[in-house]
Amino acid sequence: MKNKHVNAVIVGAGAGGGVVAKELSVAGLSVVLFERGGWATYDDHDHDEIFSQRTTLLGNAYGPDNERHRRVRVLPNGEEVVLLPSEGGYANNAACVGSGTVSYGAMGWRFMPEDFKMKSVYGTVEGSTLDDWPITYEDLEPYYEKAEWEIGVAGDDSQNPFSPPRKKPQPMPPFEHNKEAQILESAARRLGYHPFPIPMLRNSIPYGGRPQCYRIRTCVGFACPVNAKCGTHNTVIPVALNTKNCELRTHSVVNEILVDDSGNITGVSYFDDRKKRQIQTADIVIVSASATETARLLLNSKSTFFPNGIGNENDWVGRNLQGHAYCGAYGIFDEDIYDDRGPGASVAVCDFNHHNPGIIGGGVLCNEFLRLPYLFTGIRPPNSPSWGAEHKKFQRTNFKRVGQVIGPYQEIPMFEARIDVDPRIKDYWGIPVGRLSGNLSMKDAEGTEFMAGMAERWLIEAGASSVWKTGIVRGPRPVSGGQHQAGTCRMGNDPKTSVCDRYGRVHGTPNLFVADGSLHVTNGGFNPVLTIMALGFWIGEYITSEWRKGNRFK
Amino acid sequence: MNLSDKQKKIIGELFFAFLVTIIILGSFFGYWNSAPADQTCASCHEIVGSVHTFANSAHQELSCKECHGTALSNGLHSMKEKSMMVVNHFRGANTEDIRMNEYQVLEVMNNCKRCHGSEYAKWESGGHSATYERIFLDSVHNSKEQLNYDCLRCHGMFFEGTIEELVKPVSMDGPWKLTDKKRSEMHTIPCMACHMIHTDGYTMSELLTEDHYSDSARFFPTHSPGLSFYDRAEKANYPVELMSTIKLYGADTLLTVSSDGVTRNCVQCHSPNAWHEAGTSDDRIPRGVHKGLSCAACHEPHSNYERNSCATCHPAISNCNLDVTQMNTTYADKNSPNNIHFVSCTDCH
Amino acid sequence: MNSTFISRRKFIKLVALSSGSLLLLPRCSNSFNPAWRFFTAEEASLVDAIVEQIIPTDEWMGAKDAGVTNFIDKQLVTHLSRFQNKYREGLYSLAITCQELYHKKFHELPWDDQTEFLKKIENGSHNELTSIHGRYEGGRIWNGGDDRSFFRLIRDHTMAGFYGSPRHGGNRKYVSYRMIGLNYPVIQGRNKHV
Repeated sequence: MKNKHVNAVIVGAGAGGGVVAKELSVAGLSVVLFERGGWATYDDHDHDEIFSQRTTLLGNAYGPDNERHRRVRVLPNGEEVVLLPSEGGYANNAACVGSGTVSYGAMGWRFMPEDFKMKSVYGTVEGSTLDDWPITYEDLEPYYEKAEWEIGVAGDDSQNPFSPPRKKPQPMPPFEHNKEAQILESAARRLGYHPFPIPMLRNSIPYGGRPQCYRIRTCVGFACPVNAKCGTHNTVIPVALNTKNCELRTHSVVNEILVDDSGNITGVSYFDDRKKRQIQTADIVIVSASATETARLLLNSKSTFFPNGIGNENDWVGRNLQGHAYCGAYGIFDEDIYDDRGPGASVAVCDFNHHNPGIIGGGVLCNEFLRLPYLFTGIRPPNSPSWGAEHKKFQRTNFKRVGQVIGPYQEIPMFEARIDVDPRIKDYWGIPVGRLSGNLSMKDAEGTEFMAGMAERWLIEAGASSVWKTGIVRGPRPVSGGQHQAGTCRMGNDPKTSVCDRYGRVHGTPNLFVADGSLHVTNGGFNPVLTIMALGFWIGEYITSEWRKGNRFK
Repeated sequence: MNLSDKQKKIIGELFFAFLVTIIILGSFFGYWNSAPADQTCASCHEIVGSVHTFANSAHQELSCKECHGTALSNGLHSMKEKSMMVVNHFRGANTEDIRMNEYQVLEVMNNCKRCHGSEYAKWESGGHSATYERIFLDSVHNSKEQLNYDCLRCHGMFFEGTIEELVKPVSMDGPWKLTDKKRSEMHTIPCMACHMIHTDGYTMSELLTEDHYSDSARFFPTHSPGLSFYDRAEKANYPVELMSTIKLYGADTLLTVSSDGVTRNCVQCHSPNAWHEAGTSDDRIPRGVHKGLSCAACHEPHSNYERNSCATCHPAISNCNLDVTQMNTTYADKNSPNNIHFVSCTDCH
Repeated sequence: MNSTFISRRKFIKLVALSSGSLLLLPRCSNSFNPAWRFFTAEEASLVDAIVEQIIPTDEWMGAKDAGVTNFIDKQLVTHLSRFQNKYREGLYSLAITCQELYHKKFHELPWDDQTEFLKKIENGSHNELTSIHGRYEGGRIWNGGDDRSFFRLIRDHTMAGFYGSPRHGGNRKYVSYRMIGLNYPVIQGRNKHV
């Protein structure tokens, strides 16, 4: 049976796609929202550290599965390896309704105004494609606010002197610190840092008809057992579905954006849950499949009009792939600092995000989410044994005594850091898989060294007797991607050096949009999810306001 | 009706074949129900582990069928189920962790009460025999707190499915309905929520020896063997012997908590918040004047009945001239001046 | 009369036993070893010895008693089946290497020798080692740091078996959680609004 034509198809029900689906369906457009996975629940892998979304030894708890997905990675030495989704270098993002927002740690950061004009602030960086966004913080501010109120953020920016200006406070009060964060908070004040509570997409009080967080240990990497974590799956997507204008098609894998004989984009082709190929036509196509998968879909959509893939005339699709160069430090304390109050991360300092001489960007520093027992087996001071009696003793003596400060250092975009399509390997559906290649800029070495040093200083002041730094870029490091993947379809005013315009529309096409982290010109020194959600509202509002004016995007 | 010889012969042969089948199946069935476990049930490697622990358990003198019934005791359903176990075995499907489903767990309880009738009756009279309707369709609760997966940790822990598959809608706006109406009268906290049947312990014949009684005065534990918490996440019972005593904090001090096994078990569900602050969430560990007491000091373990327990320690009229049997001690009453779990000297003096 | 009764009873019992064992026959012919799913008995005792070195017994149970071998064996036929060859080859090579260097089986070595030996495997010190034994016929036992990567693999799986969830076949009696002092099952009350 032929699928009924709709106003819009959205590919990917994650942070960006969920928001756009809600904006469009509330405005009365008929929408089909595609998701390659299904609904995820905490019950799927409850309390199971080694089968979660954070530690994937036995697989990704919320997808994608190892059976049907593959990716190729080019190592710094040129060797190509085929990877499974549960393996480190795959740069996986969850495959379920809500995607990463189901199982994330849920930090809800706004980028700073500087993050939108990195080139203006820091100038041209040799070897890098560092640039300004075509939009400013002020453009996005109302949409950050929408994201905060419609999805739900607990925080208090007034304690952060570096916080970007806002018109309205966050809707929920911040979380109480756990013991580790309390110790670090007072140490930060002694050092003259400016500690404040991390904004969290988590209910500190009952909000949106859902309970408040009860501070469980197994939070990051897991769906929430009490539904207190705010993702698109339990906020905007249900709103979209309740309008009856939005149909969610789970377990459906979109393989191509369809182009007719005149070069118009007419819809998508996809494999349904029975692997049957189907067509869904639409007036507008919005791709929000994550930086890696969005780029892969555009590149796999080849036609006589778009021989190199859609939007790729200048070979910019899939370029500038960025994640975050996480760096920081560990410290061993003389007493227990672990009080089992999850998820763990709650205190931050923004002192090392911008305006530090010689450092391009930087990032926020936070105490880290609780380390679970298996993860902790890899946390040891340099040159300690990784097994044996001593290792076991360290595990029991120090599990509750090791503190960690870490931050998402803003990677400098590199043209060679990219995802393209592998010419040989295909996935279960016969779709060519993505191939990741390229390394981080060596400029990141100084920045990561600087941030790790500040983290180390913080831990020492807090009373750690033994400290060590982690995550410093010391040699060629493959591009990270992962949950924070961004940059592959950057927005810009010049079609020669960008893929999308300021509203996320792919240059040269009237009705194809991108709405996810792919648009990020630079990725900020923060977890990017709230920015992706804000962009979803920004793009959603653009489309609906044009639609109301009668624009049918032909 | 005339039958040819040939037809008669065929009928005869069929009858004979039928008879042989009945004899073989019947004798097999008889054998299966009388032979020791290691020659029957345990010959499936899938349940070897379970049978092995059973062989050393307090119930070792019983045969499998006395609790689990036979392949015929639940009609076609169990025959199909057992057949599927065989089919799955040969298909090589991962049938390693065979567990009873919820219906079987509840069915087994009918066998528990054959011997433990008094405990069963007490359990039925107390709050822990609450049904699905009582727990999950409570409109006062449901309109104040959204139902969630974690509810199933302590109620309906044997339910195989998610909260969405149990109750609709999972929101704070009712009306709420169980997706399967048959569930409404089913019990949410069955025997196996707190008891491990396949576990170490004294067998009936050991209990009946005279030596046991003299020994038990000294060594008999304060709780029954097999007392354990059914851990829904692991789908296994976690014995109280392995549980540590909760570290409970009042302000910044560590409070005295009974190390008794019963208390360790109760705390699994009647628990304080994540950082174990006394008096938060569902905590009702005694502190104040009753600090260090075990839950079992006042509560009868199966009915949880506590009214008469005060008198075991206090004279019928307390020092404060209060009739302890009439005092309003309930934890549920926020206005109770005498909340027995928390009452301290300064509350009166 | 009495004797026929007994013989009839015997007969029925015989029928019962024979028909019973008939049903059991396929299991026997399947040569299924209920103890291990992937490992041979020989491999399993080698893995037992290796994992016990990685997490030795002290005041708390070691990896062997905690069921780590069972965990690895179980995962090798389910989630981690892609490593079957790595284990088969790796264990074989490790056994041969031990034979070459010590002329003994690994689990027969004194504890400290086992530790020293595994440290060499961990550091990938056997690139040039050749063997006339077994399938190598004078060739190298390990290629290009295979010993190192094999050790890394079994080390990670041992840690996962010991520190991961008991449901996967290791961490018997929640030993690692108790050792660390982590409440498990999590003792945590609900948000109480009623």
